[in-house]
Amino acid sequence: MLFLRVDGLNETCMPDTNTALVQGTLDMLILKTLALEPMHAHRIGLRIEQISQGVFLVNPGSLFPALKRLERAGWVESRWRSTENSRRAKYYVLTAGGRKQLKSETRDWKTQSVAIARILQA
Amino acid sequence: MNIFHELTAGLRELVRRNKTESELSEELDAYVQNVADAKVQAGATRDEALRAARLEMGGMESVKHQVRAAGWEFALEVFAQDVAYGVRMLLKSPLFTAVALTTIAIGIGANTAMFSLVDAILLRPLPYPKPQRLMVAGTNQRGESPMSPMGTADFLAWRDRQHSFEQVAILDGAGGNFALSGMGEPERIPGVGVSADFFSILGVAPLKGRGFHPGEDRPGATGVVVISEQFWRDHLDFDPNVLNRTLTLDGKQHTIVGVMPAGFRFPPREPVDVWAIRTMNPPQARPPFGLHAFGRLKPGVSMRQAAAELDQIVAQVNAQYPSSTPLAGVMMPMKEWMVSEVSTALLVLLGMIALLLLIAVVNVANLLLARAAVRQREVMVRMALGASRKRVVRQLLTESAVLSLLGGVLGLLLAYLAIRAFLAFGPGQMPRLNEVGINSGVLLFTFVVCVGSGMLFGLAPALETSRPALSDPLKDANRSSSSASARRTHRALLVFEVALALLLMIGSGLLIRSFVRLSDVSPGVQTDHVITAAISLSNNYPDPPQFWKQFLEKLQMLPGVKAAGITMSLPPNLLEITNPFTVEGQGYDRHRKLQLAEEMSVSPDYFRALRIPLIKGRFFSPSDRVEEEKDPMIVIINETMAKQYFGTNDPIGGRIQTGDPNPSSPWETIVGVVGDVKYSGLDAGREPTIYVPYNENAWAGWAREMYLVVRSSGSAQQIVPAIRDQLASMDGSLPLAQVRTMDELLDESLVQQRFRTWLVSGFAALALLLSAIGIYALISYSVSQRTREIGVRVALGAQRRDVLGMVLREGLQLLVFGLLLGWVGAFSATRLMRALLYSTSATDAVSFVATSVTLVVVALLACYIPARRATKVEPVVALRYE
Repeated sequence: MLFLRVDGLNETCMPDTNTALVQGTLDMLILKTLALEPMHAHRIGLRIEQISQGVFLVNPGSLFPALKRLERAGWVESRWRSTENSRRAKYYVLTAGGRKQLKSETRDWKTQSVAIARILQA
Repeated sequence: MNIFHELTAGLRELVRRNKTESELSEELDAYVQNVADAKVQAGATRDEALRAARLEMGGMESVKHQVRAAGWEFALEVFAQDVAYGVRMLLKSPLFTAVALTTIAIGIGANTAMFSLVDAILLRPLPYPKPQRLMVAGTNQRGESPMSPMGTADFLAWRDRQHSFEQVAILDGAGGNFALSGMGEPERIPGVGVSADFFSILGVAPLKGRGFHPGEDRPGATGVVVISEQFWRDHLDFDPNVLNRTLTLDGKQHTIVGVMPAGFRFPPREPVDVWAIRTMNPPQARPPFGLHAFGRLKPGVSMRQAAAELDQIVAQVNAQYPSSTPLAGVMMPMKEWMVSEVSTALLVLLGMIALLLLIAVVNVANLLLARAAVRQREVMVRMALGASRKRVVRQLLTESAVLSLLGGVLGLLLAYLAIRAFLAFGPGQMPRLNEVGINSGVLLFTFVVCVGSGMLFGLAPALETSRPALSDPLKDANRSSSSASARRTHRALLVFEVALALLLMIGSGLLIRSFVRLSDVSPGVQTDHVITAAISLSNNYPDPPQFWKQFLEKLQMLPGVKAAGITMSLPPNLLEITNPFTVEGQGYDRHRKLQLAEEMSVSPDYFRALRIPLIKGRFFSPSDRVEEEKDPMIVIINETMAKQYFGTNDPIGGRIQTGDPNPSSPWETIVGVVGDVKYSGLDAGREPTIYVPYNENAWAGWAREMYLVVRSSGSAQQIVPAIRDQLASMDGSLPLAQVRTMDELLDESLVQQRFRTWLVSGFAALALLLSAIGIYALISYSVSQRTREIGVRVALGAQRRDVLGMVLREGLQLLVFGLLLGWVGAFSATRLMRALLYSTSATDAVSFVATSVTLVVVALLACYIPARRATKVEPVVALRYE
């Protein structure tokens, strides 16, 4: 008898369109998206895709772990609700902490991007 | 705040695993449905839309896995799974597991036991407050022995003039026991004399009562004692009114003022029952030197400063006693003073046990490597399914960690038993043994050693097993072959193991040889049929020689007694005093190198009782009593002294003086020369010895504590009751203590050496066994791997001899490399144990050759068994074997 364990899957390369996203950037984008209104996962993905005009395609393999991280950190909360198509889905809501985090991350991002832009133009 | 959040969330998830899992499934389901809804709206059919949505998702399980992996608890879970899996794998091959576990348990158990000794004795600070400030002071002759005890004159000067210490005190190095009387049978109890500040320097509070008050050691003060808790229990039945009770010690009344707790032990070697105050009179002369002086440094004073001050004070004492040999003051930390004697032996033993563990580790690594071939297929399947090499190595290492931790638990059990056995049966005479035990430090050590050895023996096999193979072992379904690199690793490990085993065996060979030489050393006396005992007269005897004369006369009359004598010192290592001496015509340069003789007073029949041969002149005779000053004093010297100081001249009639070089010392005439006797241990060199009659005036005062030596015609023990009766008829309050046959004394003097020789020989035997098993396993394995090849060779006409040679050659090759490596290691390492060897060089050829030959013979035997099996291979069977 042979014991098999199939837990190596995470390390087999899945093509990920978001490899270009800096680690942590996705978290900020999700927070920003949720700042408008509570949304479920699919809507979050769609929204990022739309607003970035198709530059960022959010893969569920990145989206769900990110949502778990944010929820763990206490920046979003989730509850089950019915969707516009009258299906049940888990909606994510920005918390007060999340709002603060978004603000500080946005500020940092702006400072950094301005700095990077300057360097690139120099 | 965040960390707390993470922690609770992770724990919650661990607890509610099912709920979060189902919720995640539901959420992902909803996600797929939502994606599909969007596609339906865009015009796809429902089925198409669902299929596309799932495809985009890229595998539900994979996403779930990634979500799970986002939390820290995931790593924990994987670890738990790996552990469970590891345990299952171990249970599947019970023989392998049993062998591996036993090997590890022995290795780790031995290391834990040894480390707990080293920890308690060498590493842990002394069990007193601020122990690093405790210093021991002594004197030596400049540049000579490291440190000798102080004399009273030096101590009193130091006590009164020093400014470096808060307080200083002494422990009287002489004696070591007191005659207790007035409480049933008279007996000797272990005890020491100490000065007033003894307890307050050590800083240990008494269990009951008090320590000594300052000034209680002044001349003329009344005797006070502090007793141990054990004495309070055994002799006084925990009497609650123990304080102010009196004890009669050496015939003198002492008042009990305190009880020390059970854990207090000082001197650190053996427990004592009483600490008696020792009064100190300003001395007449500088010797004798018998005081262990120590003190507690003031804060901010360094040992160097304190030592310099001590040296100055000793120099002042040198000036005060112009005829005495000039001394220097020396100082060392108290811990060093306590343990330096045993530290070499302990560290060498620890090193040897570490070698043994290393051998065990290599052996288990070899076992795992042999298994690696079997496991390879399983691992390949897992890697084919996507497990990374890192993941597989982690899994395999977890398995070996499980193995080593289980082994460690067993090892701890072994260590516990070993320590108990050591404390019960081992050689007592070691400092701080009462502090030995398995504590948190030892546990930590064991844990680290476990994990470390698990990694060590797991790493090579794990890397080997998970090595990406050129030929796909999955295809090679019927063959469990190991790769060339695995075989190389296997061999390299075996060479290493043989080398380590040889190193250990050579070490034990050296110890055995040294021990045999030491046991062969003649003490200079005939030990059979001799009983010895200690008798100590109280102050009620103003003229001890008178008592001894009567007592010996009574003993001589006993039937079965051939000769009865008394002596201050006994062979082989119960020397009481050494004394400087001057031979007539030598001059009196006080700065010359100190020449010391072992000196003791004996009765005339002492030499006959021990059958010490007379070489020249005569023994003492009962008519030698020197009553008056004008009578010439007489001495007997030993052969070594005669040779060293008289050369070819006849020493009989020659004259010597004893004590510090001084023209006005009385002359003593040599009347006899006797054979050398060992008084400072069998391993001591030849020393000059001077015997004086016990009844000589100058020595009469020393004759209170004497050893009795009786040679009988029957067995030595049988005469003991008769001796007791005679002693009781003289004085019912005198105990006959330390009753031993001469053979027992000889035996006891070698306890330490014998113990460590046995211990190390045991290690070496284990190492030999382990490496023999390792070689056997490797060659068996290699034969089984080559069965087909051997079959082909036999089919093509190879003879039995050729096959045997082929297999043996493989073993021999490993052996030769192992031997070479082991020799290189031994040549560089054995010098570390030089201090433990007696007249044996650290590169003693006999030990090297004998152990190497033993190893070769055993190893070839281990090769021969599988090699013979190889010669029985039937070609037809072998070819069908695969």
